[in-house]
Amino acid sequence: MKFIGRALLTGLVALGISPVAAQTPGGVINVATVGEPPTMDPMVSTADLVGIVTQHFYETLFTFDKDWKVTPLLAATMPEITEGGKVYTIKLRRDVTFHDGSPMTADDVVASLKRWMDLASRGKQTASNIDKVEVVDPATVRITLKAPYAPLLALLAFNNSAAVIMPAKKMENPLKEPVGTGPYMLKDRKADQYIQLVRYDGYKPREGAPDGYGGARKPLLDEIRFVPVPDPNTRIEGAISGQFDYVDALPVEAYDRLKGQKATQPVVLKPFGWPVFVMNTKQGVMANVDTRMAARLSLSMEDMLAAAFGSTDFYSLDAAMYPQGYVWHTNAGTEGKYNVADAEKAKALLKKANYDGSPVRILTSRQYEFHYKMAQVAAEYLKQAGFKVDMQVVDWATLTQRRADPAVWDIYITHSPFLPEPALIGQLSESSPGWWSTPARKQAVDAFNAESDPQKRVELWANVQKVMYDETPSIKIGDFNALAAQAPKVEGVVPAPWPYFWNVSIKK
Amino acid sequence: MGRYVLQRLLGMLAVMFVVVTIVFVIVRIAPGDPAAVMLGPDATPQDVAALRGRLGLDRPLLVQYAFFLAQLVRGDLGESIFLNQPVLSAIADRAEPTFFLTLFSILIAAVIAIPIGVLSAYKRGSLFDQSATTLAMLAASVPSFWLGLLLIQFFAVRFGLFPVSGYGGPGASFMTRLSHLVLPAFALGIVSSALILRFTRASMLDVLNDDYVRTARSKGMSEFRVVMKHAFKNALIPVLTVIGLTAALLVSGAVVTETVFGLPGVGSLVVSAVLRRDYPIIQGALLVIAALYVLINFLIDMLYLAVDPRVRY
Repeated sequence: MKFIGRALLTGLVALGISPVAAQTPGGVINVATVGEPPTMDPMVSTADLVGIVTQHFYETLFTFDKDWKVTPLLAATMPEITEGGKVYTIKLRRDVTFHDGSPMTADDVVASLKRWMDLASRGKQTASNIDKVEVVDPATVRITLKAPYAPLLALLAFNNSAAVIMPAKKMENPLKEPVGTGPYMLKDRKADQYIQLVRYDGYKPREGAPDGYGGARKPLLDEIRFVPVPDPNTRIEGAISGQFDYVDALPVEAYDRLKGQKATQPVVLKPFGWPVFVMNTKQGVMANVDTRMAARLSLSMEDMLAAAFGSTDFYSLDAAMYPQGYVWHTNAGTEGKYNVADAEKAKALLKKANYDGSPVRILTSRQYEFHYKMAQVAAEYLKQAGFKVDMQVVDWATLTQRRADPAVWDIYITHSPFLPEPALIGQLSESSPGWWSTPARKQAVDAFNAESDPQKRVELWANVQKVMYDETPSIKIGDFNALAAQAPKVEGVVPAPWPYFWNVSIKK
Repeated sequence: MGRYVLQRLLGMLAVMFVVVTIVFVIVRIAPGDPAAVMLGPDATPQDVAALRGRLGLDRPLLVQYAFFLAQLVRGDLGESIFLNQPVLSAIADRAEPTFFLTLFSILIAAVIAIPIGVLSAYKRGSLFDQSATTLAMLAASVPSFWLGLLLIQFFAVRFGLFPVSGYGGPGASFMTRLSHLVLPAFALGIVSSALILRFTRASMLDVLNDDYVRTARSKGMSEFRVVMKHAFKNALIPVLTVIGLTAALLVSGAVVTETVFGLPGVGSLVVSAVLRRDYPIIQGALLVIAALYVLINFLIDMLYLAVDPRVRY
């Protein structure tokens, strides 16, 4: 615990106080990642790994500060919002250039946003709310909405399926040559070997101190090399031997091996995210709300988390969709519906639902071992409640394909980091596998999305969470922490769900 | 001889056609979708369907097959869905680590296995023989990934003599790249040595009891000359076959070792392609591997000609 406390403290200190002033520029760091990103186009993919790498060379108009509030990045200031939340006028910074030396203009921004609305999953989701995107002058763009849509700024700020700004002339699909505005440029990519980023000397950081993903981004390192190392044991040994300066996504079992090492030290991001059982509300056994509730009441989240993460150092029971510390934290609707493990209550609900004994097809993958372990425990609790269970253990690629077909599964298991804006949670969308579409959902989610007042949005989110607990389109299992490793010589890394390496340096 | 070679070449072509067809069908009927992998966990089914259309994966299987064959005839293995480069170029990029890993592994295996195998057979039943066969059994039973992790633990982490993983960063020299191969080559070489040792021993035992060895001894030749010139040369034929097949197996089957050591070789390319469902890479790499198998088998047969005077085609 002492070591975790120290690791956390390191992170918190870094979050609050920037060490940039005392840092020395120069040097190269090797960052071991879980694999090769499927693409270098951050608009196209929603994979976290794509966002982690590309956020260093592509930037968005806005980003998130240390409190997960939207803050300007390529925009000069926060937008002027008029006409009851329907018109966003965005002033652009005038000192930004692309890696090819050309200045960023409103034409580039409008072309990029249009590409985002055409190609990106989140862009398409947003496009249905947008009336037009237009150039006002070379340093101003205007977005006109059909109706007020509060998640717009968060969507423009998110680095996943990201609304990045590219030069209007270099945005072919598929991308041939990634040219962005970020503090680093893509120099070389040898697939499955390394991705080499070098400092962009023309980069002009924002004024002020670093602030989460926002504020000043200083490219202190000469180079960042992302090295795909799919085998977790090799990542651990690579950290301990000092071959890698930062190692992402380590199994929590590695914590004891990492502590006390000379070449590396553990970094815990607490909390990182939440595992979730997504229900097929469209078709099959779980289309019935009472059956879904029976499943929820039958489960022991505590046993599932213990099996998956071992020690309470790495997980915590938490019914709320957002943990404490987030503005979105609320316990609305959760009472008596989380970590109940009451087989009798579940049986009664199954009887009410006229459950016919059809097997519950749980779709899971061992790509994420903790998914599989949770599924095994869940299966036993579901059986105790009278469910028949059919575990379908497949590889991740098969899972992502099968979950698109409502005829072949009842529950699938996934996880997510805590997203800065609840509207980004996939299961809230009617088109997301799970296909949750009820009048109560529509009313709660539409009201939440339409409201622009931050305080009122917090209250409306409580209502969305209540409906999620009432209708159980998915079951949140709890909160879990992420483990990474960092060489002591590296300073300035802020523990984050999508780690970044600007403002990072090497101790001389 | 010429007729035999021609027959073999035609046979090789037929084998390749069957391999191509089987690989194409298996890859397509296996579950999973490259579009879903590329677009990530939060992509909608509509986005996935749109990308499938762009990649041509929504066309009927026969149309895709015809298109693939037409490409193949032109010597084009297609373009990787994920790597943004032609399949042949992706394989060529991975050829160097795999080639040298195979070469060094075989060399290490042969250097360990052949002398011990010969001596073991010569001293049949002795303590040396029993120890050698026990060690061979142990080496054959050890999974290469476990041995790899053990080597990493000692020689990379504890003593810092070799890198843990990868194949060198940007601009790494040839020697640096080779230093990344030492541990994986030993891991594979030690495991492969078991089979070669057992074959060498068995083959030597066969020939040591043959009449011509007895004749050589009766002529008063030194034991060294009898064993090395008369027995060993003849025992070499099955050993060569095993070495050749082991080499072929290593080209394609060093998958686990390449993954453990993070080596960007052909084996790991195939594995990552399977996980991503990068169809063109899977097809292209398996085609090349199959071609190598067929070629190595062909070359082994040709080698028989050189080492065994009884073999004539």
